[in-house]
Amino acid sequence: MNNGSYNMGRPMIMHIDLNSCFATVEQQARPMLRGRPVAIANRRTEHTSIVTASYEAKALGISLGMKVREAKRLAPELVVLESDPPKYRYVYHKLMDIMKRYSAHITMKSIDEGVIDFYQTTGEIQERDLVEVGYEIKDSLYREVGKVMNCNVGIGPNRFLAKTAAGLHKPNGLDVIDHTNLRQTLGTLKLRDLTGIASHNEARLNKVGIYTPLQFLDADATTLQKIVFKSIVGQQWHRRLRGWEVDDTSHDVKTVGRQYVLETRGMPRAQILQRLHNLCESVGHRMRSQGKAARGVFVYAKSPTSGYWHRRHMAPLPFYSNQAIYAQAALLFVEAPEDIKEIGVSCYQLEDDTDKQLSLFGDELARVQRVTAAIDAINQRFGDGTLHSADTLGTERHVKQKIPFGSTRYL
Amino acid sequence: MNDETFLNERVQVVASFGEGLNLCRPLAFKRPSGREVTVSELGLRHPANKGVRTVHIFDVTDGGTDYRLEFDTERLTWHLTMEADHYE
Repeated sequence: MNNGSYNMGRPMIMHIDLNSCFATVEQQARPMLRGRPVAIANRRTEHTSIVTASYEAKALGISLGMKVREAKRLAPELVVLESDPPKYRYVYHKLMDIMKRYSAHITMKSIDEGVIDFYQTTGEIQERDLVEVGYEIKDSLYREVGKVMNCNVGIGPNRFLAKTAAGLHKPNGLDVIDHTNLRQTLGTLKLRDLTGIASHNEARLNKVGIYTPLQFLDADATTLQKIVFKSIVGQQWHRRLRGWEVDDTSHDVKTVGRQYVLETRGMPRAQILQRLHNLCESVGHRMRSQGKAARGVFVYAKSPTSGYWHRRHMAPLPFYSNQAIYAQAALLFVEAPEDIKEIGVSCYQLEDDTDKQLSLFGDELARVQRVTAAIDAINQRFGDGTLHSADTLGTERHVKQKIPFGSTRYL
Repeated sequence: MNDETFLNERVQVVASFGEGLNLCRPLAFKRPSGREVTVSELGLRHPANKGVRTVHIFDVTDGGTDYRLEFDTERLTWHLTMEADHYE
């Protein structure tokens, strides 16, 4: 490991990013949408935010996070579709299959992007020109998923520079960043173009006179560690920018949560609680699918008048049943403000659901465990939501399963 | 903003089963009204699970309207579940 100089090795990390993924998949599936501005939202209401926009929509000024109402005002011809998770999941698995042809060491970073580590693959593949491999992957996507599908490919000596390269020429670009063009490439970017630098980190850098990626690159490790980031993070940035790998890490699942924007304002509390209950069932199912039990429950509510409200509760024993999660969430929610527009619930302090601990506490817990396992088995056999609490009956029309951004655990 | 119509029509389908990436390809279908639709392009085929039962979803077009056909692999039935006309 060399902290001071650039990584002069051959760039062997490839980052693949599907362009405007959900919108492109819809345009692939539905030929009449091609060439039209398309936006994907999680629900078909005007207050919902756009999660993906096609390039045609982006050209009209539509951006991610924009409310559907605002987007329609900007572009009345915009076609807004509700997200269709199984379709995107299929394309995700196709992309993953294509990537696995080149290395067993692939990491899916989210539903629409993944990394191939060519440092850890066969000599035969390593000998190949990776630019050629990049074009081959684009071609496979085109032939095996459809002619509208395209992706950005970035190649670099580490994950950070590979991702940066993948973002240089959208859509459908292929770029390489290595020690020979690192300074030149960073010279064309702004701080906020760098993954991991948002407003907060930008402000930290600005405080010490760093306004460009090149100035960031030239900053010494001590300044970054002791003055800018005040932690090991500064040292990591110093290495990351120079092409040394610091991001090849995996994280254990720490929380499982869901949120929901209420379909109407001024909803009666009883109906809000039903939706909270639905979220708790979904969280419980996800948590158990990872073999986890929780110790804590966190709830929040957003209100236009009262702002952000949240409460948490730590239980003395681990729990995992839907009823246990909802019982605690509902109790916490008693203090929630009026005029709620969004709710959310998470389980935290997760631990492996090993039966040993639970069996110490007698028949009642064992019974809950068996009932929960039976419910999960029935839902697995006949489909999610086949068996649920009577209280949540009808809420599935509103609170649908959505695409988990940033995590591929449930895909 | 919503130009999609969601349906649950049992339809009769002529499909080819062959080789290549799309082993099954719907070519034409007949709706309960008697209207026949000729498929000009298969946009995407993807599987979806309904419990342990798999349905294959075919997004197709006749060149003017997009349709969604679902093939239930357990019951061997076809349903038209969506049509969308984006020219409105």
